[in-house]
Amino acid sequence: MTITTDLNTQLSKSNSRPQNSRSKKLSAALLLGGAGLAALGLSRRGWQRISLAAAGAYLGYEGINQTRAFSGTARVSYTIGREPEEVYRFIRDSANWPKFSAALKMDPQRNSFILTLGRPFGMKIHSHAEVTDEQEGKFIAWSSLPGVLEHRGVVHFFPAPGGRGTEVSVALEYKIPGRMFSKSLALVRGKDPEQSVRETLRVLKQIMECGEHPTVTGQPSGKRGFKGAALRVMYREPQPEPPSAPGEAQLAGD
Amino acid sequence: MKALCWQGKNKLSVESVDDPKILSSGDAILKITRTAICGSDLHLYDGYIPTMEPGDILGHEFMGEVVETGPKVENLKVGDRVVVPFTISCGHCFFCKTQQWSLCDNSNPNAWMAEKLYGFSGSGLFGYSHMLGGYAGGQAQYVRVPFADVGPLKVPQDLNDEQVLFLSDIFPTGYMAAENCDIKIGDVVAVWGCGPVGQFAIRSAFMLGAEKVIAIDRVHERLSMARQAKADIINYAEVDDVVEELKWMTGGRGPDACIDAVGMEAHANTLPGWYDKTKQSLRVAFDRPTVLRQAIQACRKGGTVSIPGVYGGFLDKIPFGAGFAKALTFKMGQTHVHKYLRPLLERIQNGEIDPAFVITHRLPLEEAPNAYQFFRDKQQECIKVVLDPWAQAA
Repeated sequence: MTITTDLNTQLSKSNSRPQNSRSKKLSAALLLGGAGLAALGLSRRGWQRISLAAAGAYLGYEGINQTRAFSGTARVSYTIGREPEEVYRFIRDSANWPKFSAALKMDPQRNSFILTLGRPFGMKIHSHAEVTDEQEGKFIAWSSLPGVLEHRGVVHFFPAPGGRGTEVSVALEYKIPGRMFSKSLALVRGKDPEQSVRETLRVLKQIMECGEHPTVTGQPSGKRGFKGAALRVMYREPQPEPPSAPGEAQLAGD
Repeated sequence: MKALCWQGKNKLSVESVDDPKILSSGDAILKITRTAICGSDLHLYDGYIPTMEPGDILGHEFMGEVVETGPKVENLKVGDRVVVPFTISCGHCFFCKTQQWSLCDNSNPNAWMAEKLYGFSGSGLFGYSHMLGGYAGGQAQYVRVPFADVGPLKVPQDLNDEQVLFLSDIFPTGYMAAENCDIKIGDVVAVWGCGPVGQFAIRSAFMLGAEKVIAIDRVHERLSMARQAKADIINYAEVDDVVEELKWMTGGRGPDACIDAVGMEAHANTLPGWYDKTKQSLRVAFDRPTVLRQAIQACRKGGTVSIPGVYGGFLDKIPFGAGFAKALTFKMGQTHVHKYLRPLLERIQNGEIDPAFVITHRLPLEEAPNAYQFFRDKQQECIKVVLDPWAQAA
């Protein structure tokens, strides 16, 4: 599937310029901090000199890097055991969104939807977007409205062979401001955009096929200790609360 | 409640933890009446299964009484006595609908981890690493059972716990291993490993029409239990070469089917055995595939190698050329437990088999850490340990 868009060329043109003031501030702070550390390092001797200078240089590098956006494309295909029209209708109804995604919200005032990527260091990375084209039961295309976060893409609903339901194929392009922000976002949440889409589709499939979202959040355990706690972060646990409360999803069962 | 928790390699403790709660609409909570230690739990004990976290509650063979059900549960009610498959299945996906229950698409909340390692994820399992769901296990006083309408099997009152407990794993696992051999009347089946799964594989192979079953182990009590099932035996510690011995015992043909009921922690006092042991100790390999190599080498032309033993990673020096040259069929995977629950319950009810034969130790939960050790080290003539989570330690 191809998305007909020239976002990629726009992205490469705008790559060298930061677009928002937060990003600029962080960039400046990193550069200043980096220079300070390096200066402190140069005033010391031995290993402190080398390590502090290296740390300073790294921060400076990140500061400069900060002026570049993190952009790319992602494509994910997932088979859901429901008819294409059914999957289309389920996704198109924003009342269903909380059941499979915490990142999507409708904005009734602006007739657009809001995609929130996360809140790294307390700053919410989100954008407004609108549906640009669609055909019932076939596809939905969207594009972000001018703002910090740029993304556009299309989700197709193809009938899966052998009566296995629907192949839901998502292809998107994105540009997230602040390279280090975006990377830490990916690190903290353990999810690059492609993985986020995959996990969202996984929950959508679970909700549409079984009517519930299996979870292990909230179950008992023995003493985790330091190692257990560290591993939980590495294994991306505890996971975000299940999108819907028990008993809310009403789609299961055949 | 009391629960057996994994705290690291060779480190288990019985701890006081919170009681489980209903977390999803299809959950049920069981009060566990009997639970068992599985041979595959020893892989966790020995630290060979990745993505375990200190504090994880172990145990995937258990049964009990329903004490609470989620709002969506229809098939179970409080007071029902059930045995629970160790694989967790949603009952609605392509795999569940085609009886491939252990490949369920929807039951592993941590599927991304298994996808990184294996390309795709199988079903979630109770008490068996975070990569396979991170579900708290059943070597405890209570357990939460997800998709409770799908898995648990109600047990007839005239059967006691010990007769049905092993429907949770080892009986279906041994049975599927034999079924995967596509046994024809007159077939000879060789079974490596006479632990509990091997014992059920031996008996299932006979049930499915095998004329001769050859059981391979080195532990005397396990071999004699196999002999009670009328299997011929090979004590591999007393023969020069298992493959040659099998040829000798099968008129030079080789067994029609070979079952590897050992898996990743095979023992062998041979050069390949020590090679595998060294690699695993150095953590450059998950698995010691010594038995698998023998099974492939020994199997007759056009035969089947059936693998219920657990493997985790990239297996070294597998004679794939032999597999190709002899046109072997390979069958493997976690057991589709749900598929076998009712047919095997029927066999128990008909008196064809009483699975309790395999039990050698009955202990309170407090004794579990100790029991893991002597089960692993094959001391005290241990073959199968059943735990009572409510019994007081002596």
